[in-house]
Amino acid sequence: MKSKALKIVFVFVALVFLVGLAGSGKVMSAEPYNLGVALGFTGAGTLYSKDQLEGIHVAVDEINAKGGFLGKYPIKVFQRDTQTKPDVGVREVKDLILRDKVRAVINAYSSAVAVAVKPICREYKTLHIPALSNSENITKINYSPYTFQVAPNTYMQAKAAVLAIAKMAKDKGWKEYVTLASDYEWGRSTQEEVVKELKKVAPQLKLKKEFWPRLGETQFTSFITSIMAMKPDFVYPCLASKDNVSFIEQAKPYGFFEKVTFAGGMVSVTELIIEAKTIPRGLVAITRAPFFAHLDVPMMVNFVKNYRAKYKKYPSDWAVMGYDAVYSLKQGIEKAKTIDTDKVKDAMKGLTVDLTRGKLRFRPIDNQLSCSSYVGVVGDDPKYPFPILKDVIEVKGAESERPEAEIVAARKAEQK
Amino acid sequence: MEFSFIFSQFLSGLTYGMILFLVASGLSLIFGVMNILNFAHATLWLIGAYFCYSFWYLMQGYNFALWVSIPLAGFACAAVGWVTEIVLIKHIYKRELHEQLLITYALALIFADLIKIVWGPTDRLIARPPAIQKPVFIFGAPFDSYFIFVILAGFAVALGLWWFLKYTRYGHIVKAAVFSREMVGALGIPIPKIYTWVFTLGIFIAGFAGGVQAPIGSVNFGMDIAIIIQAFCVVVIGGFGSLLGTLVGAIIVGEVFSFAILYWPAGAMVLIFVITAAILIIRPWGLFGTPMRT
Repeated sequence: MKSKALKIVFVFVALVFLVGLAGSGKVMSAEPYNLGVALGFTGAGTLYSKDQLEGIHVAVDEINAKGGFLGKYPIKVFQRDTQTKPDVGVREVKDLILRDKVRAVINAYSSAVAVAVKPICREYKTLHIPALSNSENITKINYSPYTFQVAPNTYMQAKAAVLAIAKMAKDKGWKEYVTLASDYEWGRSTQEEVVKELKKVAPQLKLKKEFWPRLGETQFTSFITSIMAMKPDFVYPCLASKDNVSFIEQAKPYGFFEKVTFAGGMVSVTELIIEAKTIPRGLVAITRAPFFAHLDVPMMVNFVKNYRAKYKKYPSDWAVMGYDAVYSLKQGIEKAKTIDTDKVKDAMKGLTVDLTRGKLRFRPIDNQLSCSSYVGVVGDDPKYPFPILKDVIEVKGAESERPEAEIVAARKAEQK
Repeated sequence: MEFSFIFSQFLSGLTYGMILFLVASGLSLIFGVMNILNFAHATLWLIGAYFCYSFWYLMQGYNFALWVSIPLAGFACAAVGWVTEIVLIKHIYKRELHEQLLITYALALIFADLIKIVWGPTDRLIARPPAIQKPVFIFGAPFDSYFIFVILAGFAVALGLWWFLKYTRYGHIVKAAVFSREMVGALGIPIPKIYTWVFTLGIFIAGFAGGVQAPIGSVNFGMDIAIIIQAFCVVVIGGFGSLLGTLVGAIIVGEVFSFAILYWPAGAMVLIFVITAAILIIRPWGLFGTPMRT
């Protein structure tokens, strides 16, 4: 009798223990996935960084509504301000890794910060996803297997601009152009590169004149009237950012943009929205991830809908890339079937992901996403309360990325 | 090349010249009367542009906002100039020229940092009233309609200064002080007070010029460094202390720059420095300056 009672007690205890184990198992699988977001929330990068954070939050909300990564790891976002300073960026990211135990960090606004943070993430085996800063050197040299770039890099953007201009020249029968470049190292080298590339892809184009305003030029009047007098088919500018703004503002009252095609550098959806009234129509511009170029992709349509519902505005390129960064990570985790960072990193290498910008692949040699660049003409659209880019030429990643041999050579040169 | 475009280039040069004249006239006046080479002059000009932006920002709902902000920028800068003169400049009149240059250069750096603290590093843009957003066509050449105001403002300042120096009692005192401050002092005229007001007037013109510059493109940090060297070229060519010289010097620099860009863009700045160097060698006191100073 006694032994029977003992048996019952034993079975009861065992059952309680098993149930408890199962319960604790459930608690263990509800461990959150800590995701760091270290962007330039104060200073020059405020606008872009805030937009990107919003895009990230929309993705996180969607994924968490289904239980998180793999349906069981809810994402917890830890946000830090890098102040667009490399030393602050390094300090904050280290803190995110050591104190908040983040497994991945989306960083940064400035390429200088991303380049400084990259070795820290490699050292602490943390995934690093730059979705805003796009210097080619983030992925080209000093390679880190933990860094995955989801924005088109500087090389891809420059190449795409040239290819798009060459296409426009062919379509419109352009014959002559002039360059307008800030007279310093970057301006000179970029202008030289553009002229060289244009010669290759559009040999019929003739460079009529080169203009070299000083870096920081305040009076562009004489340049404006000179260019108008020459009547080139288009102007290719390589002006430093402030100088570009000054030139555009000074050229507007001349009716310059109605007469001359001006390839005006990067104009993202942020600028299209903020400068809706003042941005010159007819400006040829390049950007990185405009939502309106991919409304044929259901994922983009869904993102725009959810983003608008949450923030009552349209998403900028920066928001799109923030959203894509989280979904790239999600698909890496799904392939790895674990949140273990090393396994996710291996799974993401060469992975093809479904994003708002279509099916894109991380190139194995440098973990650069094969994403497109977009060139179009600023113009009004009745569907939106701001101008968009029209007649968009999408230059695919495969057409614009740097040949792998050059990357190998650059890395060899780096080791010497 | 069509006549209309050559004419358009001439107008561009004239506009550029007028902007340089507005900056350089205060610089020249202060040096001519007080013997102070004020390296911070262009930074005060930039502060004027920022003041203009701030005043415009406060009144931006009104059509007259810009037109009121430009002279207000002059007065606000004059106040800064007045304080600067009393606190600092007053104490360096008798110092060597190189010491004055170092001190006023330090002042330029201090003002530049103050701009960063007050207005931040972001570019500031003034949205022009609709009346001056479109070009006007003069003999078929497009011309920024605001530049008509710039050219008129330049000539108005030139005329105003000429009238002040030629026909007013204070103008006569200022002119006399250029040649012999001891003699003027001996007549019982308080030289330090005159100096304070001349400096304030010079900085008023700088602030006004900054206000005139503000709606041309964006107001941004570092614009002062770009213009101060050309302003010095203007006064060297025209002659320090000569109003007419400054006007002619500014127009020469503006036109040479403008036409060089049309025909030889790479050499535009070189030509201006070659002319400046040639004047310094052949006629160090400038085209309209005078070698006599006490």
